[in-house]
Amino acid sequence: MSVSKESSALNDAAQQQAIAEFIRQRCEADAVSITAMRRLSGGAIQENWSLDVSLAGGELNGAQEWVLRADAISAVSDSHSRPQEFALLKAVFDAGVTVPEPILLGDKSVFGRDFFIMKRVKGLAAGFKIVRDPTLGGDKEKLAERIGEEMAKIHTVLPPRVELAFLPEPNARPALSFIQASRAYLDKHHTPFPALEWGLRWLEINAPETPQLVLTHRDFRTGNYMVDESGLTAVLDWEFAAWSDPLDDIGWFCAKCWRFGQNAKEAGGISSREALYRGYERISGKKIDPASIFYWEVFAHMRWAMIAIRQGERQVSGTELSLELALTAHVVPELELEILRMTGAAPN
Amino acid sequence: MRERPLGSELLEIARSVLREKLLKNLPTELHYDALMIANAMAIAARQLEFGEKPEQEEMASLLALLNETKQADNLRAELLRLNRLLVNKVRSGEFDNGAAAKAHLWAAAVQKCKESAPKALG
Repeated sequence: MSVSKESSALNDAAQQQAIAEFIRQRCEADAVSITAMRRLSGGAIQENWSLDVSLAGGELNGAQEWVLRADAISAVSDSHSRPQEFALLKAVFDAGVTVPEPILLGDKSVFGRDFFIMKRVKGLAAGFKIVRDPTLGGDKEKLAERIGEEMAKIHTVLPPRVELAFLPEPNARPALSFIQASRAYLDKHHTPFPALEWGLRWLEINAPETPQLVLTHRDFRTGNYMVDESGLTAVLDWEFAAWSDPLDDIGWFCAKCWRFGQNAKEAGGISSREALYRGYERISGKKIDPASIFYWEVFAHMRWAMIAIRQGERQVSGTELSLELALTAHVVPELELEILRMTGAAPN
Repeated sequence: MRERPLGSELLEIARSVLREKLLKNLPTELHYDALMIANAMAIAARQLEFGEKPEQEEMASLLALLNETKQADNLRAELLRLNRLLVNKVRSGEFDNGAAAKAHLWAAAVQKCKESAPKALG
């Protein structure tokens, strides 16, 4: 009796067999067995499965510890597809960035959904824990330096890249195009946000030149990298990656809204900025001008506010009740306050 | 007359039962949901406590800032109209150095934080 591909769990016997056969063919192995398969926590958009595989023959002969990442059954998403995410991981992996090594790109013929396989990496990503626990991530100043280095390596990937053609067209003034898009969104929105408009106006007046567009992560912050007790193990969550100003990434990492309450530790709630800058400058060979980062921190608060409004909207207009999305809209007032403060609108 | 305890008081009481009694007996994977519920109740309680007064004050402030007169009795509709006017003026640059505009924006953001995120006020 055959079971519909789309409806059974990936670790059902038939699905596992299809996956094993796919691996065998691609790795040119004589035999492949899946010794363990376990669902990892994931979102509504993707499924992540821990995969222990034993290969006999071929280049990857031996025991492998992998993760299989597949579209969720009912995924409707405007973030990257699995093939696109695979291409991104490959591009940054080749640039020396610490990400799970991408191994195999699958396709829908195997079990009806797009997927890829990457090496499994150990570590913890929970931002709230990392900023508070001295045993996580090793020396935190060194961790920030390392993160600076990783960022600089991401920024060595320059447009154009044929394999990254799915990324939005690079725009010479990324800040201005964000401002334009935000205004267009707010114009159609049911509620006006004058404080955010104030911030957009400030960003418009003070928009810098971007001498060189680079690949940016665009969500590189505490909470999106994994650490173990000695340091960084992986940079995660490449959903928003795009061509932008490199300072976009640095501003996002240092923005006050992403310090998980450890406000005195200006680099991601984990350390001083100087440590982050040191690592970045070492790899990039360019000095960071602290004044120019300030612009991108205001930008970061604005970007997060626009994301939060959109996420709140998904709750209002969606078919499923989500308290998390509904509460996300309520972070906007705090962001507005910080934007006003940073742009000279706070009382003296 | 409305029955007491009022909605905001009921929310406060219910929230403390959730936090002090239920939370420790819930499995760890449900703690995040429970804390979100507690947060949602706190926001709702604060909004109810403040009532309509802050929006009425916001409207008065907008009328003064924009040199406008009240066009309708519907508070929501007026706030929408006036805030959209404010948005246009901010966007055009008319209020770029406006002390009165800054004061209004700040006060409005502070009030929203009082309801949605009081910890942001320090």
